[in-house]
Amino acid sequence: MARTIHGRSEERLAYWTMVLPAVLLYLLVLGFPIIISIILSVSNYNGGKMFGGEPWKIVGFQQFQRLIRDSFFWAALKNNIYIVLVSIFGQLPLGFIFAYLIYRRIVKFGDFWQGVLYMPNIISVIVIGIMWAIIFSPNGLIAEIMNRLYAGSISHQITQIFNAAGGFNITDDVVRQLIHASGPVAGQTFTDPPTELKQFILTYDPTKLELLKHDLVNLLGTKWTPTFLSKPDVAMLPVLFVILWCWTGLYLILFLANMQKIDVQIIEAARIDGASEGQVMSRVVLPSLSGVIVNAAILCIAGSLNSFALVFAMTRGGPARVTELLSIYMYDAAFFGTPNYPLANAIALSIVLLSMVLIVITKLVEKRYGGRE
Amino acid sequence: MPEPLKNQPAKRLMGVLGKGASYAVMGIFAFMTIAPLVWLILSSFKSTTEFRLNRVGLPHIWTTINYPGAWKLGEFSQLIGNSFIYTLGATLGIIFFSILAGFAFAKIKSRATPILYGSFVLGILLSIQSLMVPLFIEVSQLDRLLTDLFRVLGILKNGQVNFFYDSRFGVLLIYVGSGLPTAIYLSTEYIKGIPYALVEAARIDGATYFKIFRWLILPMSVPIATTVAILNITGLWNEFALINILVSRTQLKSLPLGVFKFTSNLTSDWGKQFAALVIGMAPMLLFYIGFRKQITKGVAAGAVKG
Repeated sequence: MARTIHGRSEERLAYWTMVLPAVLLYLLVLGFPIIISIILSVSNYNGGKMFGGEPWKIVGFQQFQRLIRDSFFWAALKNNIYIVLVSIFGQLPLGFIFAYLIYRRIVKFGDFWQGVLYMPNIISVIVIGIMWAIIFSPNGLIAEIMNRLYAGSISHQITQIFNAAGGFNITDDVVRQLIHASGPVAGQTFTDPPTELKQFILTYDPTKLELLKHDLVNLLGTKWTPTFLSKPDVAMLPVLFVILWCWTGLYLILFLANMQKIDVQIIEAARIDGASEGQVMSRVVLPSLSGVIVNAAILCIAGSLNSFALVFAMTRGGPARVTELLSIYMYDAAFFGTPNYPLANAIALSIVLLSMVLIVITKLVEKRYGGRE
Repeated sequence: MPEPLKNQPAKRLMGVLGKGASYAVMGIFAFMTIAPLVWLILSSFKSTTEFRLNRVGLPHIWTTINYPGAWKLGEFSQLIGNSFIYTLGATLGIIFFSILAGFAFAKIKSRATPILYGSFVLGILLSIQSLMVPLFIEVSQLDRLLTDLFRVLGILKNGQVNFFYDSRFGVLLIYVGSGLPTAIYLSTEYIKGIPYALVEAARIDGATYFKIFRWLILPMSVPIATTVAILNITGLWNEFALINILVSRTQLKSLPLGVFKFTSNLTSDWGKQFAALVIGMAPMLLFYIGFRKQITKGVAAGAVKG
């Protein structure tokens, strides 16, 4: 009999041989690090040899007490919460609406939109972070576009002033108009704008009016310097924008795939009964996706609390640590300056605990308000 | 029914307006997605001097001069090779070990399964990135332990063992481990769908579990293996947080680390910086263009509940 050839012991051996590699790897990346973080967060370990090196011991919950009083910790936590909020109230609804527009064929070329909006997800967040840091910088795309608009407007005004004056005909009135057109800039450039500007203009050859106009645009045009990423009170906004920019497409794909599983006849029936698209969306599609939405929210929370690389590349937590996240704080505590491993491990543990708490809350909300899946 | 008929023109107007608004919102978002990327690519074909004067438009003089410089400075030939090794090695590892464990969880009865499988499913939500500091301490301490052990055994006279920290093998281990929870969940659920009668028939014919794995389960799991591969390839290729702390030698670094170097060193050499960014995103962009349908499908299938 076959049964007797392969006994229970062969079965058990096979089971453990198959499961053990995965279990060991799992312990290596998750089990042991969690244990290490628990132990080291209450120790005075300073990075030496853990076994048989300099002695270290358990000293208690000092690091956690320190964190509770640490304003940088709360600031970082607040930024993490902002990211969670932008994800849940920005990425999810936008992703859902886009998915619905494509699903109901309200917009054509669904494949194209989907393909474009998902694109940021496959690009390295390091590239994305650096790219947006450049775009928001004083040398970047936004500054350039704004300055071109300013330059275009003042160039237009200067041309009009000279046309009205009939060419190179420098009267005090023309100078006054030029100063007026420049707004505050002339006052910042010259101590006595009317005389100095007139002297400056008169150094030009009267036949080279175009050259004069060009130089005046450069001289008098408003220079706009974006301070998004260098001003502490607004620096978090570009970061949140990029996070929204980056991951909305993921939820679009997730929701669209699940919408396509809905029985089309239900929606057709609702439409024939006179339901508007808005009603179909809120009464038919939204309820049947509630389970998926909760999952997406959990995914969002877990991802948001752990976000590191994008912000690390974009601002590195600056200026003055206002865009710092828990993960960046942890990184700096361990790898920047004098390492403080107990503190870093206390932060790591807080991130893990916080994700668990938020996920449990989301699960409870799901139970309370009934996800269908 | 007179009621709906009366509303018809108003409804149609609303429909047209709604359609217009939908296209507008969609168009704006899509434009905002693609414009920065196009700008980045265009800028990489301008010399640094031209970029200073012409930051927005098409290049007046198209030049590829930035690319050789950035390539050499970032040591990208080395880094891209490493990225291939890490991505392919870890993807194959994740597929193999997850199907192996998934087979055991799904088809071999054991009292350990609920605890083990349950803890893997729990792990889907815990990101290993938040544990990078304890992970770093773990790998460096493991190497020190091994060094001591080898010295005691007399295998090693002097020097250090780099088995976990600062080694390709260490990076691969961590990458495979971090991909396992999701992959094991997907594989187990998939293999549960394979009829048990097939396994039983093979058992009665005298096949060992390993033979069944090799000749029955593995071939039948190709679809889920593809999903797992698609789910992991972009993430592994772009991974930064872990490898940033796991290696220090340039010979072992991956592409994102090379691109990151350009933030600090070269802020004034725009041309090279843009070229480096394009080099950083080009491989995955091509992969996406080639396999968009599969990637989209895999992502939708792989976003699992915890």
